[in-house]
Amino acid sequence: MPTLNLPLTEEPSLLPGFDETVLESARSGEHALLQAKRTAAYERYSVIPNPEAFHEEYRRMNPDLFRFPSFTRLDIPNESVEVASSDADEHYDVVIAVSPTGYRIQDRTGVLSQEGVNVLTLDAAAREFPNLLEQSIGTAMVADEQRKFLDLNGAFWNVGFFIYVRKKVELPNGILIRYYNDQAGTTLLPKLVVVAEQESRFAIAEEFSSPDGVETLCVSGREFHLDAAADVKLISLQGWGNKGIHIGEDWARVKRDGKVDLFSMTFGGCVSKMTVGCDVCEPNANAYLGGVFFADEHQHFDQKTLQYHSAPDTYSNMMYKGAVKDHGYSVYQGIIRALKHCVGVDSYQTNNNLVLDATARADSLPGLIIDADELACSHGATFGNLDQEQLYYLRSRGVPEGEARRMLVMGFFDEVIDRIPFKPLQDHLHSVIARKFGSL
Amino acid sequence: MPEFDTDSQLVQDYKYGFYTDIETDTLPKGLNEEVIAMISAKKEEPTWMLEWRLKAFRRWQKMKDPKWAFLDFPEIDYQDIHYYSAPKQAVESAELDPELQKTFERLGIPLNERDALSGVAMDVVFDSVSVGTTHQEMLEEQGIIFCSISEAIQNHPELVRQYLGTVVPPGDNFYAALNSAVFTDGSFCYIPKGVKCPVELSTYFRINAADTGQFERTLIVCDDNATCSYLEGCTAPQRDTNQLHAAVVEIVALENADVKYSTVQNWYAGDEEGKGGIYNFVTKRGHCRGRNSKISWTQVEVGAAITWKYPSCVLEGDNSVGEFYSVAFTNNHMQADTGTKMIHVGKNTSSTIVSKGISAGKSANNYRGLVQVMDGAKHARNHSACDSLLIGRECSANTFPYIECEEDSAALAHEATTSNISEDQLFYLQSRGISEEDAASMVVKGFCKDVFKQLPLEFSVEAVKLLEIKLEGSIG
Repeated sequence: MPTLNLPLTEEPSLLPGFDETVLESARSGEHALLQAKRTAAYERYSVIPNPEAFHEEYRRMNPDLFRFPSFTRLDIPNESVEVASSDADEHYDVVIAVSPTGYRIQDRTGVLSQEGVNVLTLDAAAREFPNLLEQSIGTAMVADEQRKFLDLNGAFWNVGFFIYVRKKVELPNGILIRYYNDQAGTTLLPKLVVVAEQESRFAIAEEFSSPDGVETLCVSGREFHLDAAADVKLISLQGWGNKGIHIGEDWARVKRDGKVDLFSMTFGGCVSKMTVGCDVCEPNANAYLGGVFFADEHQHFDQKTLQYHSAPDTYSNMMYKGAVKDHGYSVYQGIIRALKHCVGVDSYQTNNNLVLDATARADSLPGLIIDADELACSHGATFGNLDQEQLYYLRSRGVPEGEARRMLVMGFFDEVIDRIPFKPLQDHLHSVIARKFGSL
Repeated sequence: MPEFDTDSQLVQDYKYGFYTDIETDTLPKGLNEEVIAMISAKKEEPTWMLEWRLKAFRRWQKMKDPKWAFLDFPEIDYQDIHYYSAPKQAVESAELDPELQKTFERLGIPLNERDALSGVAMDVVFDSVSVGTTHQEMLEEQGIIFCSISEAIQNHPELVRQYLGTVVPPGDNFYAALNSAVFTDGSFCYIPKGVKCPVELSTYFRINAADTGQFERTLIVCDDNATCSYLEGCTAPQRDTNQLHAAVVEIVALENADVKYSTVQNWYAGDEEGKGGIYNFVTKRGHCRGRNSKISWTQVEVGAAITWKYPSCVLEGDNSVGEFYSVAFTNNHMQADTGTKMIHVGKNTSSTIVSKGISAGKSANNYRGLVQVMDGAKHARNHSACDSLLIGRECSANTFPYIECEEDSAALAHEATTSNISEDQLFYLQSRGISEEDAASMVVKGFCKDVFKQLPLEFSVEAVKLLEIKLEGSIG
């Protein structure tokens, strides 16, 4: 069978700033389990060829844009510090805040003191749950995929958390993780490992932010393990300042009757390369991948989704909606993959693009790789500006043109945003979109 | 060794699998500048043509074969192929070898004009040379030039020089460069200004000799306000070894011109174990150069062990239209990576893509397409629909559409589905007394209908029959 993977290199292929010396400093003083995991990830990372502009995946986003030589790995002390709180904090049970000087885990409603919910650093988790961690770090991804940046994060992460929710436990308000970086020329490498036991149910929101004008790089890596009938939602809001560069890799493995929703909201930074993958690996597992992006002012976003069906009777649905204007450039690449004998798969991909002016560009590359029959996989992609007839209708009802256009754009995005479980986050997204759309 | 039984299932499956034993004039295996010079000398080509070939050859030597397609086949040894093979008689005299005549009768190709279907003018290419073209006189009266490309190079060098390589440049891709260096025959059509071609033009390609490659080159030029419809068919004998067919087809449509190009590709596809068969690596491209021009591709791909083919349209003239209708059927161990490219350059251009893939057995069927709206292509329109049907659990169907949009006034829509034959439909037909196999065949024919109805009548009937034969035994 032909493969989409590149041949591994014999000489180590390392990205600037991420070599063995840096690995040693990351490993120093760590728990042996984490050290071993870093080494294993490093071994994979060093033989996967460096991304090149002529590789299919990077043809529309030159990897030089990530500017690795201009950044050094941030050394975040593994200690709890005071971090300024935010207005959003009050809506959640647990708030994790990360800054270049350290982190803080704040239990706002006392859920952590009860049995069944653990939110702790990877270092603490290695001492408390060594067996569980051994099984769940670096294992969420499908084995035959080749993800250089996930392994880079696995080897060099500089802040890592472990969220562990026991059987039948539900979190009413969820967990917020805020990442903030104001150190110019540094790379943040956050790692997150989530283990959801049977029938647990919770949501995690993530926010990335930095001041405008500060050049930062972020390589994020997240792994989700959902046991039978678990229900987990992740909402990731990429809101870096205008000089931020973001690379993200999310992978979820979903077992029988489990359901994962992965939302990726991309608005900030100048360059963003986001990959979201899910493997629905037991019957009746379900995944929803939602995406909203808005590229303007020369922003360049690339989003990739991978819907893996490695078991019969599994479901996935994906909806990515984006707008581009003012020299913005968005790329969507997606693959649905149904492995051999995985019958009864039902999978869908939708990518809708609003091209709001002639300087912007949107590319869409949905793909289906199907090795089984008795299934239904499909995708749809559309491109266009706002519908003139709808605009005319609204104006004929006395709605001013600017307001009518704003309404149509909001309606376009609401198909995804309405599914987000946090009302405050929905409002926040609406205000971000309104701000971006503003000048039209 | 068991004796080869001519009534075996194999022969029934592929009735064009026979081999004609005739004397041939074959160049030794291998590819170098000397071989190219020999091919050129055999065709009595002018020096500019030889230089053009050598330039392409030097480009080709620096290129690597493309690996991005979802195809799996062993490395091809390009030095182990005969680049030229021609039936001796056809070269030496204008009289047709009776053996050859018989071959074409068996294939159902009317070479003799008296028996010819009145509506079709035909050029027949046997291995590396064209062995006869029909209806030439009648076409000449209208000023239409329809002949083999070798003849065109000798008789109409100014036209060939003006258009050859302007749509698919010699260095376009690995196989196009190889073809430009060693192409042996193919058809040339020129429809002058304002002429509506009264008959369908058709070329029939046949590979006969062993270990040869066929490198056809077809060039179709439709001048202002002209229209033409062109058909292409292909077959080859059954062999255990793989044979290479690397073709280039170029179409130029000038102002208000309308070109329709239809193919029924039925190369030998290898046996049930995947042994033998033709490697079909083809570059086909049309260029809508003038305003209001239209190019329409229709293809029915039921043969070849491996197909690598992307008939494309460059829509440069304002208001130009591109169409692509395709049925690709794969069975046993066949692999197909096929699709189209629609490149919108001019204003108000529109394109339609309808692709139907059917995979059965252990085959792999890929759709790969590009819709590109360049900056300035105001009000471009595209609609693409790619549907795949899976028969059996061992096959695969993949869809890789690429869409690039640089215009806010564009409206593009793409949809793709992959599924198996609906149980409900089968049940309904069976409950009406139709056998399972017939029911499945009806569903498949219905699935392909959008494409078949684009074909000229005779071809449409042939395509339906072909599909029926190919489907036999793959259901149930």
